[in-house]
Amino acid sequence: MQIASGGVTSVGRVRANNEDCFKIVESMNLFVLSDGMGGEAHGEIASALAVETVVKHCMETEQDPAMTVFGDMPAAWSEKTKRLSSAVHLANKSIYDSAHKHAEQHGMGATLTAAWIDGTRVSIAHVGDSRAYLLRSGSLQQLTSDHSLVAEQVRRGILTPAEAERSEMQSVLLRALGAHEDIEVDAEEHTVFPRDILLLCSDGLTRMVTEPEIAGTLQAEPDPAKAAGRLVELANDQGGADNVTVVVVRAGAESKGWFSWLRRGAKNSSQGNGSAGGK
Amino acid sequence: MAKLSLMFENKLVKEVPVGSRPVAIGRSPDNDLPVDNLAVSNYHARVYFEANRLVVEDLDSLNGTFVNDLRVERATLHDGDSIWIGKHHIKVDASGDAVPAWDPGKKAAAPKINETMVLDTKARRDMLQQAAAMGERTQFAAGRLKVPTLVVLSGNTDQKEYVITNKLTVIGKSKMATVRLKGWLKPQLAAQINQRDDGYYVGPGDKVPRVNGASIPGPLRLNDGDTIEVCGVRLNFIFRD
Repeated sequence: MQIASGGVTSVGRVRANNEDCFKIVESMNLFVLSDGMGGEAHGEIASALAVETVVKHCMETEQDPAMTVFGDMPAAWSEKTKRLSSAVHLANKSIYDSAHKHAEQHGMGATLTAAWIDGTRVSIAHVGDSRAYLLRSGSLQQLTSDHSLVAEQVRRGILTPAEAERSEMQSVLLRALGAHEDIEVDAEEHTVFPRDILLLCSDGLTRMVTEPEIAGTLQAEPDPAKAAGRLVELANDQGGADNVTVVVVRAGAESKGWFSWLRRGAKNSSQGNGSAGGK
Repeated sequence: MAKLSLMFENKLVKEVPVGSRPVAIGRSPDNDLPVDNLAVSNYHARVYFEANRLVVEDLDSLNGTFVNDLRVERATLHDGDSIWIGKHHIKVDASGDAVPAWDPGKKAAAPKINETMVLDTKARRDMLQQAAAMGERTQFAAGRLKVPTLVVLSGNTDQKEYVITNKLTVIGKSKMATVRLKGWLKPQLAAQINQRDDGYYVGPGDKVPRVNGASIPGPLRLNDGDTIEVCGVRLNFIFRD
């Protein structure tokens, strides 16, 4: 399947540092996003370390499929999902080790949300309150669950979603990379359909921009990099209280079968006959 | 004042207000809201205000109390919720009450937080315990979990019944679809059913499905027993025990 992607990160309008980090590895259809936390510049170190570790491990397992898998994995998961999840376990360990080696880094941590597309399957691995969304036929569906206190309270019926949005405790995470030696990684697999749009974003987007606005922007702008840029602009226009990072991934329209072949042929011939000059 | 309306097959049976005293629900006639059905325990559940919140509590009933399809031991009710007891359901109208929002910042006595932080294990335990002390024990009774299922009522599909196991379910002609439509000119992706925190939602694909005979304006939360129609296929959405 044809995959097009683009990503944008911004410091926002309030913060001095950008502690968000993302990486797109086009050749592997791998997309990784992280939001760091910690005093001074340590949030930046944590998120960069998280992204770098995940990307490096996924690349290495491509070369050497026999590499060890970390963490407990359900047997039903695909190889890619297992590797991506392993990579997140490794990223946790890298941040945890670094924070323990360097006293000044104590307390640093990071969220991580990653997607890896292989043919018509996408593997998602996730820790923290960054999010992965899928826009399919106009419906925006959140794929990941936030590992935040307020999200847990909503799931338990203690807070309504509206109360959660007003809560002062929005920044309290129940899970993040670097906090403990071991970590539970959420992972899942889905089928990718033609024209699906996958969105990875930090909480700087979702706290500023509503889901209908996100869906509308993704539908209005076909170019993934421009769509990511527009969403970041929207978040900044609406306050930009936090760093904002957006990665947009678009699956191409699949043209197969004799009918689409006919249509393609028709288009080609009309181009060829056009007097305005073809290729 | 909050109000409970007992419904059976969409007909109003009885309506009671919720005051300072709990509303008792059960098969025995001395309940405030008697429900005449063998699936209902004598003293099945009660609804009352606690800390300005409307709460439903199951009284160890045999067949359970469900709030919007989730089995609960005890749960906070919101305006528009449905409590299911056997084949009856109780509509919750809390619209007249300005229920003050619980301010977790105050209760948890935590510092005001601007920067993102992670709770260590102890703080996390304390905070969740505090949450539990608020009186919430929404329980998903394992082993009695209900399984969402699509039963094909009519139309041409590759199976007669589908158990929904994934967060994302596609109805269409595509080889990758969960519910595969057969026949000419059927769209690859006709419609979709997605799982969210509060239930299952049916949404459009290349076609706009109809639910219980009406076209949906956008993603719509499915209730037990709803009928979905798309591309000449009729599906019954049910929760199986």
